[in-house]
Amino acid sequence: MSKRKAEDHVAYSEAAIRNNLSIVEYCRTSVSAISGCTAGILGLTGLYGALFFVFAVTSFWFMLLFNAGIDSWKKYFISRKSLLLNGVFGHFFTYILCWTFIYGMVHVY
Amino acid sequence: MSTDLIVDPQIRSWVFLPIVVITFLVGILRHYASILLSSQKKVELQQLADSQLIIRARVLRENCSYIPKNSFLMRKQAFNKEDGYLLQKRPPVTQNMMTDPSMMTDMLKGNITNVLPMIVIGGWINWMFSGFITTKVPFPLTLRFKSMLQRGIELSHLDASWVSSASWYFLNVFGLRSIYALVLGENNAADQSRQMQEQMQMTGAASGMPADPKIPFKAEWEALEIVEHHFKLPDVEKEILDG
Repeated sequence: MSKRKAEDHVAYSEAAIRNNLSIVEYCRTSVSAISGCTAGILGLTGLYGALFFVFAVTSFWFMLLFNAGIDSWKKYFISRKSLLLNGVFGHFFTYILCWTFIYGMVHVY
Repeated sequence: MSTDLIVDPQIRSWVFLPIVVITFLVGILRHYASILLSSQKKVELQQLADSQLIIRARVLRENCSYIPKNSFLMRKQAFNKEDGYLLQKRPPVTQNMMTDPSMMTDMLKGNITNVLPMIVIGGWINWMFSGFITTKVPFPLTLRFKSMLQRGIELSHLDASWVSSASWYFLNVFGLRSIYALVLGENNAADQSRQMQEQMQMTGAASGMPADPKIPFKAEWEALEIVEHHFKLPDVEKEILDG
């Protein structure tokens, strides 16, 4: 009885959760910028670039979960899905900017 | 695919790259200028007390299930009784925003750091680097994007994925937002699109704290009045002692 209750109510420290999320946000921005640069250098065009973004974000998500521990990620984040999907469009914009920039630098001229 | 148009490499080093660098550095400069110009907001003691009061009432409402019924009712009574915290009589606060000189200087500073660079730098970039094709987006786009990406170039036969210099500047303005967050930290002042939105909202209520405390007090009073109390820890002593 008591054990089930303990599982039902998990208390998170709000400040710590927010801190974790902001750190993850930094990492995600870096990942999208760096993967954008990579895609530009590789000269990916069209759908391949979009697929590369999906690949980069998903692999970052897996790395993050692996780093937090496959079983213990619940200690640090409330939801796994929001970790993957939060602000993905904003990051996609960053990705497109870096991709376009480096692609223009390397391949257009 | 990219051989339909050959772009002079000089454009890369004298137009394409400078636009990125200028946009980025102007953002950084704006951040530090706004730090330099920002004045510490003076907070009225009464306003601060009011906002803390509302926070206290909300904390009580949200966490009421962790205290016994008796304690909850006592606290609720302190907030909600006839002469309690939330129903206290106040002289009406009338604060005219336009006559307050500090408010005016704040608005002026906001304009100086936000609108002026946008107009000056944007105009300068448009004048200095106008009419160049700078780059090509690495994905195909439909004709609808032509007006967005090829501002300043009216060529009907040009493929829609080429980007003109003016549009490249605007792409940078909006796209560097997260890079600023990375470089300058979370709450930076470099991002001008966000600043513009804040400016719009600022004209309504001044800086989060409402001038008239009656309205949020009333809302909080109602919320506290209808909250239903269930004590979540009725036999907590027994459970803890049992282990």
